[in-house]
Amino acid sequence: MAAKRPADRPRPTLLILLVAALTLLTLQFRGLQPLDAFQRGVRDIIEPVRSLSDRLTDPVQTAWNGVFGFEALRMENERLEVELARMRGSALTSEADTELLNRLLSEVDIAYSDFDAVVVRILGQPPGNFSAHMIEVDKGTDDGLEEGMAVVTGAGLVGRLEQVDRSRSLVQLATHPDFRVGVRLVTSQDEGLAKGTGTEGIMRIESGVRLDAQVDNDEVVVTSGGRSVFPSDIPVGRVLDPDSDADYRRSIIIELAADLENLSFLKVVLPAQKAEGAR
Amino acid sequence: MSSRLRVVAVLLTALVAQATLLTEIRIQGATVELMMVIAILAGFHGGPERGALVAFFAGLLQDSLLSVPLGLHALVFPPLAVAVSSLEQRMVRSAPVADAVALLLAATAGILTVAAVGLLFGLSPYDPGTFLARIITAAVMTTAIAAPVNRAVRWAVLGGLPPDIKLRAVGS
Repeated sequence: MAAKRPADRPRPTLLILLVAALTLLTLQFRGLQPLDAFQRGVRDIIEPVRSLSDRLTDPVQTAWNGVFGFEALRMENERLEVELARMRGSALTSEADTELLNRLLSEVDIAYSDFDAVVVRILGQPPGNFSAHMIEVDKGTDDGLEEGMAVVTGAGLVGRLEQVDRSRSLVQLATHPDFRVGVRLVTSQDEGLAKGTGTEGIMRIESGVRLDAQVDNDEVVVTSGGRSVFPSDIPVGRVLDPDSDADYRRSIIIELAADLENLSFLKVVLPAQKAEGAR
Repeated sequence: MSSRLRVVAVLLTALVAQATLLTEIRIQGATVELMMVIAILAGFHGGPERGALVAFFAGLLQDSLLSVPLGLHALVFPPLAVAVSSLEQRMVRSAPVADAVALLLAATAGILTVAAVGLLFGLSPYDPGTFLARIITAAVMTTAIAAPVNRAVRWAVLGGLPPDIKLRAVGS
């Protein structure tokens, strides 16, 4: 126990500090640019140290994952073996599947893989405990990235850039409760607003889709584009539960196409104007 | 070295450690809250006023590092430091186990408060499914690193001198 000290006057000091913190919070929520710049500046200053540390701690991290992630890796290996066996079976019917897929793609005009994109590497979770459903990637404004850009994999939508520093960015995953994206159901052509649920691999459409719209299980869901920051026709996932019995408001569950658990590289989709400028 | 310089040195070192090594060390997605443990220990060793000041700047640095609004941790850390200081002054005697339990409770309360204030400001800091597990894991990890941090914070706020030395005017 620390020894007694001369009497302090905590109340005025504490009050001043609390008012200062609340003022900062208020100004930040009102979008005061210098505060954002200050935060970005601090992160940019320690970025070289972080990059160096990333390289140096790679072996430590590998050892740590070996100790604490061994069981998960073993289960993942078993899952992949099952998946491989299933894929081998699927290969036998691939010709028919390919033909069907081509027909579907031509119907819905999906060409999202043609977008200009910047490939980014996943660095891991950002610092701190306030990082559920966020990941950090290794490129930033120096590579032409901006906040709000869509992040995808070959399988489909992953999320959006939430915070972009000079050489790092944070991706808000599609499962984040604050994530919103306009989507279109490919068969029924109904559009709605999908949001993250905080659950791995699951999104939910809670508004936009008519109560009497015919939505089937496994129906493909893509981004709707329009005024959204996301380009249209990026695959989002498939309908898991169409909630056809809803009386008042429909809540359609979507299983995401992109597996967010096992990612190493992602693509950040550049807006059309930016891609043309880059050429 | 003056006390302020020592505090700045400890805070900056902690910021770099939080941003680098400690970010890599995660259990169930939870990581150490190094700046929070500094705020708690600053209250313990430095008293309510000095503790609150150190905690405020620790919170500001934490806010700068994370993707949260500036002022969130700075709002929570000073009352936490003052509360710890107040409790410390009421403790009759101290034992390592009791101190560790107190630190664990303070860290848990601190992380919960940050999450609650974050929710008030519209953030969704935690996955509802893993909320409690993550908070408890983070608090335990934070307590586990307290011993070396304790020495650094004590050195920073007290300069390594016995804290009970009082200067008296000649003749008093």
